[in-house]
Amino acid sequence: MISVPKIDRRLIANFDWLMLGLTVLIALIGVATIYSATRPVGDDPHANFYMKQLAWGGISLLFVFLIAGVDYRWFHRLAYPLLGVGVVLLAIVLVMGRTGLGAQRWLSIGPLSFQPSEVAKLFFILAMARALSEYNARLGLKDIARLFGVFLAPSLVFLLLQPDLGTGLMFLFTFTGLLLAAGIKRRALIALALSISLAIPFLGGVFWAGLKPYQRNRIVAFLDPDIDPAGIGYQIAQSKITIGSGGMTGKGFQKGTQGALRFLPERHTDFIFSIYSEEWGFAGAIALLLLYLMVLMRGLDTANRAKDRFGYFLALGAVLMVSFYLSVNIGMTLGLTPVVGVPLPFMSYGGTALLTNFTAVALLINVRMRRFELFY
Amino acid sequence: MAHGRLVIIKTLVLLGFLSVTLRLFDLMILEHKQLAVRAQKQHRAAEPIDARRGAIFDRHYRELAVNRRVESLYGVPQKVTDARAVAASLSPFVGSEKTDLVVKRLSADRSKGFVWLARKLDDNTAESIKRLKLGEQIGLAPESYRSYPKEALAAHLLGSVNIDNDGVEGVELKYDEYLRGKGGSKVHARDARGRALSNGGDYEQPGNSLVLTIDEDLQYIVEKQLADAVEKWNPRAATAIVMDPFTGEILAMGVNPTFSPEKPDRSENRRNFAISDVYEPGSVFKVVVASAALDLGVYTPYDRFDCSRGSIEVGGRVIRDVHRNGMLTLAEVIKKSSNVGSIKIAMGVGKDRYFEYVKKFGFGQSTGIDLPGEARGLFSANASYASVSIGYGIAVTPLQLLTAYSAIANGGTLMKPYLVQEIVGPDGETVKSFQPAQVRRVISENTSRTMAEILSSVTQEGGTAKKAAVDGNGVAGKTGTARKLDMTTKRYSESKYMSSFVGFVPANDPKLAIIVVIDEPRGAIYGGEVAAPVFKGISEHALVYLKVPREDTKNVLLVSN
Repeated sequence: MISVPKIDRRLIANFDWLMLGLTVLIALIGVATIYSATRPVGDDPHANFYMKQLAWGGISLLFVFLIAGVDYRWFHRLAYPLLGVGVVLLAIVLVMGRTGLGAQRWLSIGPLSFQPSEVAKLFFILAMARALSEYNARLGLKDIARLFGVFLAPSLVFLLLQPDLGTGLMFLFTFTGLLLAAGIKRRALIALALSISLAIPFLGGVFWAGLKPYQRNRIVAFLDPDIDPAGIGYQIAQSKITIGSGGMTGKGFQKGTQGALRFLPERHTDFIFSIYSEEWGFAGAIALLLLYLMVLMRGLDTANRAKDRFGYFLALGAVLMVSFYLSVNIGMTLGLTPVVGVPLPFMSYGGTALLTNFTAVALLINVRMRRFELFY
Repeated sequence: MAHGRLVIIKTLVLLGFLSVTLRLFDLMILEHKQLAVRAQKQHRAAEPIDARRGAIFDRHYRELAVNRRVESLYGVPQKVTDARAVAASLSPFVGSEKTDLVVKRLSADRSKGFVWLARKLDDNTAESIKRLKLGEQIGLAPESYRSYPKEALAAHLLGSVNIDNDGVEGVELKYDEYLRGKGGSKVHARDARGRALSNGGDYEQPGNSLVLTIDEDLQYIVEKQLADAVEKWNPRAATAIVMDPFTGEILAMGVNPTFSPEKPDRSENRRNFAISDVYEPGSVFKVVVASAALDLGVYTPYDRFDCSRGSIEVGGRVIRDVHRNGMLTLAEVIKKSSNVGSIKIAMGVGKDRYFEYVKKFGFGQSTGIDLPGEARGLFSANASYASVSIGYGIAVTPLQLLTAYSAIANGGTLMKPYLVQEIVGPDGETVKSFQPAQVRRVISENTSRTMAEILSSVTQEGGTAKKAAVDGNGVAGKTGTARKLDMTTKRYSESKYMSSFVGFVPANDPKLAIIVVIDEPRGAIYGGEVAAPVFKGISEHALVYLKVPREDTKNVLLVSN
């Protein structure tokens, strides 16, 4: 039997305050950076992005306690139906979604509008965790094909049709990561690795090589219309200037010039790490990275201590999701990875993303606080 | 559970962080300088705009130099699509001859966000340019235009500024660091759209203002009298300085010909004759040898010198008096300005002791006045002391002579002359104030009193400068009429003279020390003829303006009481 949600003293004692504290701290740094990045020049009023973000932070905190309060085994039960709901939402958004920035991503229900892809990624992690928890042996090629076909493919198709490259890649990344963590049979692994490594350069290379530079840009723009193709180089150059000009100790809070003067596009969303580094310098950037590192390590530790396989994969899925956004976002701002418009977890302006990330935190807390409970 | 795989994941995470850290180190430490320059370059205008320069006031806070806000035209090469078209539409306002320059500046570096096109336009032109609708290709930035409301008044003192409002002459240069304020420049910030942002105020710190020791009214009196004399005698140049003999405050300093500080030309007119040019002073220098003789007790004013031959031979050269005199007392030697008598006094004092006094009076050294370009004069220990005693073989500036005479006027102390009494901040607070500074005691109070009496006789009956006598107040002073050394022939000129009069008034309670020097007057040459009337004109007007009581009025009152 699964117990009815109840809060007992032991749960409170095991609540992962460190994880919550770290992420809330990062979120507050995010609010401060949004405040500085969107500060007006001249006599204009201060844009209220930071207030909105703060409000979303409050809502996210409520969610954390709400979700942490529900035993995660309830999510185990609901995982498959929820994945179904997620796929349906992704399909609906294609048909009747609100178009923003050239891609259909938003769905309105009355006055509320939200991005189904944000909900879908959590549901996807739940479903994957449940599916993998049911395998006891290493995965064979057939298993992988089944998992791909049933759990990943439907969501991926709808995501790429939107198109939402960033979320699509995140699904792929999390899927792969979870499979590897679950264990793949040696033969299957070799076969997969070989076919992928042969297929990608062949198919991609032939196709890509035949394109002119501006055509390549168009493809990138097609896959991710957030990006102005002519502006890709500009964004990366400006991001490097922004970060590099910070130096050892930075220009100081509200002393950065690149964001407020609008040299850096997406200053409070995708490129917030650049603005932060400009104002707080190398020292500040390293400090922030250490906070993130602690969050990830704590998450992995939670996975390690989870009392069951579902909890293990759930925690791992949450960590993989945050790691993906973290690495793609920071890699992009540093010019290390291609520009894929994804937000920096906990810091970038955007209510839905903040809520999603804190929900992931809630799942981690949930798994950790119930690691001693025995219900079987 | 397969926890070994977690170790692999952790390792991957750490490797990810390591590579990010290395990249951050690369960008933020190794490439920092270069990237910081790029960041600054793109948001800061290439050229700074001047901060509001401090004003210059006279001693009663009347404005001598102020700023007017004007607008300057700049271009934004980044936004310019057709430089020729822009230049063509601007040409009626900036002048057609500048069209090529505008094109060149706009197209030289297309990455630039700021280049000056035309500075400090008048209001009408700026208005017309605003109506041109050239969008973000050009813009108008406020600048301050240095304005001198009294035009040429005190031009040589005030000096001038260049187009960037840097002081280049006069107190504008000497006190430039105060006037321009700390930092000294206002910087244009601009955003990614190339808009100049008006919040450059962060960078602007207005300069401090100067309060001069100059009195605008006295300055006007001096310049008016000089102008009249110039009209009458048509000299090469003329100067007059008025100083408070007790404090060293310069109350007025006029130089003619003058210039307009707002439109400074490159001509010689900008030279400040009063402090920058040296000349052989002639007879006015005789007070030095007389003072030395009295101060050392070598002679009394009543000791007599035989000047009946009218000439004296020194070192193979014969020096003559203008008129043949008989036996003269020391006092009479000065009163009649006898060369023979002066040389005899100098012989009695002796070269070393005499030259000691020349130095003590400040000759051969700069006075330390707070103006740029002061000359030290020429005085060598190898000079013939006989020549020096009558003011030849030594070169001085008018200001050096005036400070020396002030020492006689004030009881024997050489004062350092100064022009700025206070530096005040933008809100009127005192930043720095200047007090009278004694350089050294030169002669005893007794000697100075005796010398003042002797100098008073010069303007009285039988003296060389009756034309310096002021109605109602005694004047102490000395004339000078020096032949100029002809630089081409290396001989003293027969036609070119330096006429001067230096002294103080009222003689027994000095309020003003004044020197007048006329360079190459035409029609008359003698100091008593040319310079003394200017001295008189300045003194009379100045004493009335300063409400100095007439000495004869005092007597009248005494009698009537």
